[in-house]
Amino acid sequence: MSELLLARRRIAIFLVLVLFTLVLLSSQTRTADRREVGAVGTAILTVLLPVQAGMVRLADGIGQVWERFTEIGRLRVENARLRAQVDGLNREVAGLREAAAAAERLERLLQLRAQVNYHGVAARVIGRDPSRWFSTLVIDRGSRDGLARNAPVVTPDGVVGRVIEVTPFASRVLLIADARSAVGVLVQDSRDAAVVEGRGMERLHLKYLSRAARVEAGDLLVTSGLGGVFPRGLVVGRIITVVREEGALLQEAEVEPAAQLGRLEELLVLLPRQ
Amino acid sequence: MNRALIYSGLLVAVGLVHGAWLARVEISGAILDPLLPIAVAVGILRGAESGAAVGLAGGLLQDLLSGGPLGVNGLTKLVVGFASGLFERSIYIENPLLPAVATFAGTLLSEILLVVVGQVTGLGLESAGALPRAFAQAILNSAMAPFLFRGIKRIEVRIDRAR
Repeated sequence: MSELLLARRRIAIFLVLVLFTLVLLSSQTRTADRREVGAVGTAILTVLLPVQAGMVRLADGIGQVWERFTEIGRLRVENARLRAQVDGLNREVAGLREAAAAAERLERLLQLRAQVNYHGVAARVIGRDPSRWFSTLVIDRGSRDGLARNAPVVTPDGVVGRVIEVTPFASRVLLIADARSAVGVLVQDSRDAAVVEGRGMERLHLKYLSRAARVEAGDLLVTSGLGGVFPRGLVVGRIITVVREEGALLQEAEVEPAAQLGRLEELLVLLPRQ
Repeated sequence: MNRALIYSGLLVAVGLVHGAWLARVEISGAILDPLLPIAVAVGILRGAESGAAVGLAGGLLQDLLSGGPLGVNGLTKLVVGFASGLFERSIYIENPLLPAVATFAGTLLSEILLVVVGQVTGLGLESAGALPRAFAQAILNSAMAPFLFRGIKRIEVRIDRAR
């Protein structure tokens, strides 16, 4: 009997709870938002929602820390990929810069060729004297291109030297920095004549300049046209320091060559027009 | 110590954890729902009335915190808790598989009820894909049921000792 009563009580409680829930649920479905928590619900939420918000923020913080932790691995992989990409692009940029610089140099050579009354043959440096860097170099033009011994060699910046050996396909150029080289020059402003000699070094030496000549550092030297090798008016270099010794009849000077003799790549060999 | 107070605290704590943390982890459309295994465990250990009461309280709390209509989870968990309690004396409580199996069945029942309630009340609960989601939910809940069952059992033992 008691079992039966207990079972009935159990069913009754269940039905009451179900009824309560159904009433609650039906009241929800009648509202516009399908939700009406009432005063009790609002009171409970007033207490619980801040706690839940704090827990969510805590989870967000942990999630962000974890994301940063795992991001390190991803960033490493991406970094390696981007580095490889940057290396490739750098190589490409270097190649393009090289091509642009070469094009610029060649354009200046063409301009120079138009200025002088000579037939110019463009040449490329294909070798240097390894023992004396600033003395001689080999170019890729020879007698088949019309080159001859003593042909002047210039760049848009200034005089480089002259051809001293000619083969059918290549020639050797003696630079003005070589100790064997001597070029007749004029001080551009004062028109005083002198000779620029090489010394096997980067700088040149100006000799045989009259003591009366009024020269100073910065003066430009151009070829005099005397001597039969270089045409008149080509830039040779600029005076760096002037040396006037007591009692000497002549004065000397140190000269910086106009052409960058250590970084020559394309040259113009001047040949007399026929 | 008052049993109702202890279970209220437990349900609030678990409800907050569920809403704030567990709801973030979705597996095959299912989210760990610890309130359901708790209702099942209380039903088995304490009887149908207790299971129904805990299920209803936990479900309503879940509805309150989730922002949905009040009563949807309350009704389903009430039925599951009560149904679990009906087997109170006919099953072997010490069986280690009991919590998982009972939770699995209870979860499936809960999912079916959710779909039915949704259809009847027009609450717009999605029934498409409900079956695979129900099984995923049942597996997830079953996985944590043994731990929750052990926890509830320990609480019951301590309450009994305190008396």
